[in-house]
Amino acid sequence: MSDSLDGPVLDEPGLACLMEESQDLHADAMRAGRHQLDDYVAAAKESSFARSRGLGAGALVVGAAGATVLGSALPAFAAGNTDVQVLQTAASIENLAVATYGVALGLPFIGGGSANPVVKAFAQMTMKQHQDHAKGFNAAVKQLGGKEQHNPDPKYLAYVNSQKPKLTNASAVAGLAIALEDVAAQTYTKNVSQVSTGDLRQLFAGVAGVEAQHKAILLAVKALIDGGAPQLIALPPKLNKLPKAAGSVGFPDTFYPTKSASPASEGAVK
Amino acid sequence: MSAREDNPIAITEGELISMTRDLDEMHHESMREVNGNMASLTDRLAGIAQSQASRRSLLFGSLAVAGVGVLAACGSSSSGGGKTATGTTGSPSGSSPYMGDLKVVALAAALENLAVAGYGLVLSNATKGAYGKVPPAIAEFATVVQKQHKDHGAAWNSVLKGAGLPQVTGTPLTIAPQAVSALKSAKTLGDVAKVARGLESAAAQTYVFAAANVSDSGGIATAASIAPVEAMHEAILLFVLGQYPVPNADIGISGAVQPSALTA
Repeated sequence: MSDSLDGPVLDEPGLACLMEESQDLHADAMRAGRHQLDDYVAAAKESSFARSRGLGAGALVVGAAGATVLGSALPAFAAGNTDVQVLQTAASIENLAVATYGVALGLPFIGGGSANPVVKAFAQMTMKQHQDHAKGFNAAVKQLGGKEQHNPDPKYLAYVNSQKPKLTNASAVAGLAIALEDVAAQTYTKNVSQVSTGDLRQLFAGVAGVEAQHKAILLAVKALIDGGAPQLIALPPKLNKLPKAAGSVGFPDTFYPTKSASPASEGAVK
Repeated sequence: MSAREDNPIAITEGELISMTRDLDEMHHESMREVNGNMASLTDRLAGIAQSQASRRSLLFGSLAVAGVGVLAACGSSSSGGGKTATGTTGSPSGSSPYMGDLKVVALAAALENLAVAGYGLVLSNATKGAYGKVPPAIAEFATVVQKQHKDHGAAWNSVLKGAGLPQVTGTPLTIAPQAVSALKSAKTLGDVAKVARGLESAAAQTYVFAAANVSDSGGIATAASIAPVEAMHEAILLFVLGQYPVPNADIGISGAVQPSALTA
């Protein structure tokens, strides 16, 4: 068989084309995600306000008068609402991821002339996906009457800052990115069991899967770098050159863990 | 070409095995948490299954009115934790022992079985040389992924068994014949990877759908913990196919396999 499944290794223009297709898909997915958020916000407003007033959801007054009352009450319940805190913490994790990928792309071996084009393209696209996740989470926070979270997660900001001086090669950058993606995936997997509506469970489960995908690719990339074979990081990869263990290094867990998930309050706006 | 390119396995295997050992320890920790979720799910659903049995005839009527589940005939057993539901064709939905959350559990078990069978078929064909020389990394991928799907299936079946319902040991799904046919007709590893990618994507989306729609907290947590793993399988397959490995910002549910696809 040939080295790869589908023809020659992509060069820069080929990757650009692939990225364009991917961004179209990404835009479609984000539109769908916003619909989920809108549905969630409507449901959460109704159920949370009803709970705060000791009412069943069906007892809410619908219409202009009801909407006014609901709007004025939102900031009050948002302040201590678990859903809002979870969304703010999620936004803080995304903000940190965006900033970290930004730093990485400023390094010559990730975003500069000496970078592997696949790694560079991956970092760019992943940063954009994290930006969109942050916007989505903050949009929901805002609609629920909470304060948008534009700061990075404080716990992991300290960790990222401690690692910055060590970012002297692509392996170190990949290791840091793996840690952040894993925290995000673990947190959102845990959040699925913490939030109050099906729409929000779907949102967090859907985004957790994407962060896990980022982690899978980064694990494979880091393994190839550490193994001294960065030239094998290519699209499509040269399959018959890859070491056996590269086939499974990207998905180490049968069930995604949650023991390192951030608590709901970690990135909440005080 | 460098010596490293000529013999890449010798270069990286030791380091990767060391990484794998560390990850194995993490895996055992996460398994303890999952087992706790599954045990609590089993306890709660066992009670639900008993009450469902008494309401089954009433529910059959409701489902028929709603037009749910126009399914093919199937070979499934009808009772007991030691019984099994097998086959790829099904009985009318009205005779299904699985209701509500338990139907989603059975669907999940069937999907996992389909994945296990699919990768088994591929590995068997590969051994016979059907795809030419198979790269070691691809064989490793199929072997480990198949094992993970087996573990997922066993977890879901333990819930069914605990609830006193037949375990799903076959692939009683409307989508199974097409998937098996596609795998059987695959001539190259590329063909195989495309089918496998479709199955992994469908599984990931089905678990996202399940996390949003089942009512039991243990079921929600378990579905949420499996969805990312299937998504990771999909990302690696996309990479193998030379496609961008994380094309969407959200896993989505438009490709989820619906409970009505279960024919047991």
